[in-house]
Amino acid sequence: MPNLKGIKPREVWRQLTWTWKPASEREAGDSVVRNLLLHWFPAKVSLGSLSFRYSFWLGTISALLFLVLCLTGVVLMFLYVPSVERAYQSVKDIEFVVSFGWFLRGLHRLAAHLMVAAVFLHMVRVFLTAAYKNGAGAGQNRPLNWIVGVVLLLATLLLSFTGYLLPWDQLAFWAITVGTNIASAAPLVGQKIRFLLLGGNEIEQSALLRFYVLHCFFLPALVLFLFAWHMWRVRKDGGLACVDQLALGHKAEKTPPVRTKTYSLLGLTKGRTVHVETALADEDKYTVHAMPHLTRRLLLVTLATLVVLFALTMVVTAPLEEPANPRVTPNPAKAPWYFLWLQELVTISTINIGGLTINGALIGGIIVPGVLVVLLAIWPYVDNTGAATTGVWFAAARRKQNIVFLVVVAVVLALMVVGTFLRGPYWDFYWPWEQWPQIPKHF
Amino acid sequence: MNGKHRDTVWIYALAAASLALIGALYAGYLTPEWKDYQAEFRDLVEKRFGPARASQVAGGLQQIWVKELGRTDRCVTCHMGVGWKGLESAPNPFRSHPKEILEKHPLAKYGCTICHGGQGYATTMDAAHGVGIEHWEQPVLGAQLAKTYVISERKALIESNCNVCHRYDRETKGAGYVNYAKQLVRDKGCRACHIVNGRGGLVGPNLNFVGDLAPEQYDYSRLGGKHSVFAWHMAHFKNPKSMVAETVMPNFSFGSKEAQALTMLVMSWKQAKLPVDYIPGVETADLPTKEEKEKEERMMTGEGAFFVKKNCFICHDVSALGIESAAKIGPDLALAVTDVQSRFGRTLEDFLKAPTGTMAMVLATQIHLTDAEKAEAVEKLKLAYQKKLEQDAKGAQRK
Repeated sequence: MPNLKGIKPREVWRQLTWTWKPASEREAGDSVVRNLLLHWFPAKVSLGSLSFRYSFWLGTISALLFLVLCLTGVVLMFLYVPSVERAYQSVKDIEFVVSFGWFLRGLHRLAAHLMVAAVFLHMVRVFLTAAYKNGAGAGQNRPLNWIVGVVLLLATLLLSFTGYLLPWDQLAFWAITVGTNIASAAPLVGQKIRFLLLGGNEIEQSALLRFYVLHCFFLPALVLFLFAWHMWRVRKDGGLACVDQLALGHKAEKTPPVRTKTYSLLGLTKGRTVHVETALADEDKYTVHAMPHLTRRLLLVTLATLVVLFALTMVVTAPLEEPANPRVTPNPAKAPWYFLWLQELVTISTINIGGLTINGALIGGIIVPGVLVVLLAIWPYVDNTGAATTGVWFAAARRKQNIVFLVVVAVVLALMVVGTFLRGPYWDFYWPWEQWPQIPKHF
Repeated sequence: MNGKHRDTVWIYALAAASLALIGALYAGYLTPEWKDYQAEFRDLVEKRFGPARASQVAGGLQQIWVKELGRTDRCVTCHMGVGWKGLESAPNPFRSHPKEILEKHPLAKYGCTICHGGQGYATTMDAAHGVGIEHWEQPVLGAQLAKTYVISERKALIESNCNVCHRYDRETKGAGYVNYAKQLVRDKGCRACHIVNGRGGLVGPNLNFVGDLAPEQYDYSRLGGKHSVFAWHMAHFKNPKSMVAETVMPNFSFGSKEAQALTMLVMSWKQAKLPVDYIPGVETADLPTKEEKEKEERMMTGEGAFFVKKNCFICHDVSALGIESAAKIGPDLALAVTDVQSRFGRTLEDFLKAPTGTMAMVLATQIHLTDAEKAEAVEKLKLAYQKKLEQDAKGAQRK
């Protein structure tokens, strides 16, 4: 009979449910620095950075979805054959005979769609909080990080778009047809871009292989690199922009922070990190240790993302239409949803005057999105409101630009909704309560 | 900090939710529809043939992979009795397949879907049968589909698929409906206006591969009810003008049976990617022309037939007797009587009895002639020489 005396049930429960707790601040900080996965976290974080209300954790969710995409994608690479003869068949096999294959494919597809949405919303959040602006810290370059973010958004769109072709079904084939035709409307180089993308004039084996290699290697590598850069800059810029506001407030009432020593990879260095520069005099009131506060919340966000993703995957079936058939255009042929606002713009800007047709592909497909992307990229340099707006939701000084930005976002979303839900055969408009004409079948 | 406690609670709740989801996922994985059918089949076999045979029934996903046709048919995962004897009266999906058809169309070479239709990849009943589901255009041509149309002969639908391979047959055994349709094509003179199987008129559309037209390529504006290619053709055969107002196609007043048979026939006219040995009646030999055949006939039966039978003609022409060598390695034997004399200084008889050089080797190893045959050869060659002289004389006169 073992001696059970002196065992406290509370202690046992704590041991079982929470296995480690830092004994000192030093241990807490050390645990972050020593861990490969956590070393890019700060030792301490502000409460504002941790809160859901400020960031909605959208960047983290995007990164988590990217992780899910990498993991499921690698498994799918073992199962999928990038050949026009076998691609469709291999996807059918993934759906029907590979253990959990349908789930894997569903996860990959949904995570891709959600990642486009999450990255886009993350951008919206950063804009509305003016988090692309420098604040109080030395050596900040948030505008550059914003540009990295814009490129990440474009890379995400391209990743999703290149993945769209791979199942080689009608949906894939015609979405890519629409997409690459819009690209070909670019002046002078349009046809060349299309040729380069497709490796020919038709969507055939070379196009499939190009999209596959872009999808499985080049674009993920690009995203991984940009992501690392993005995060590195976040640290260099002193964390989330809301921290600056806290520091600015304190600076106004207190003396500048004292010089302290900092540790770097090479040991003790002179100078101060940005974090120290913007550190608060009253640190304990506004900051907590990253371990366990940040890591715990990260675990929470990870689990929430996974649970939502799993649940959605079990409910939403990933479509796989008939095998690709260049001779039969499905009616309507639609681009992927995140490009439907462009397709809709193309339709709107195609104008018939008498016998003359102005092709909308140039305006709607190239000029409008081109201008929007350029505007996005340079906006931090245009926005001349002071540092006081940095990291503040809907700052009064930025009201006008926020409204214009939200209107543009709303228009884009509205066009997406119209394109996705309200366009029927021959791109005719149908209200949700109106029935589309029957889609005919062989039998 | 209050958030700390709340975060932890949420973490436990979400972890539990994800565990529950994974549990549900696994439960679904362990209980696919086909496992029930396999268990039922094992029970059936045990009841009819005893436990020993029931234990031999395979378990797990089953498939027939026909590489030549690019088909993977998993129908046999549930239709387990297909190849069994003694389950002819069992309920489906366990019934034995009729034997006569399987003998000519072995499962390993054909699979299931090339005849029956359906989605061979699928492992659930609805997806596999493909009747009324989205994104699959070849449903199982059976009773389930026939129910959606008012069809007089429900089992006949499948004959449409027979004709994908058998399209050039005049008559296909067991395909009564399609045979009837083919008869109608001949009787009604469809070829006057349409190209059918490669020949015919140009007044109406070319029907060679009309079965490949996509459903989207038909005009359904005048068709009530279900929009399908099948329904369109049925209505069109019964009254062409009801579907295409400006058509010049006469109304043949076809009844339901005729319309159904003809619809099945035209829908089978597809450009199927088939290895040539799957198409009955296709000659894969390099056949001789008519002239070549006649010449061969002459050589085999004419005066020089002896030289063909004895294989002399492989190397030698016997021009006066109409024997032409393909290789022409040796001299023309029509001149052998004088040729042998001048080359070897011996008579033809002598030379054949004791040949020298190449002929010594050939006559010792490849062509064996008895003395009687040698005498016959000499006699025939003398005759050939005679003829040759006559022919040459005639030629000289003509000049």
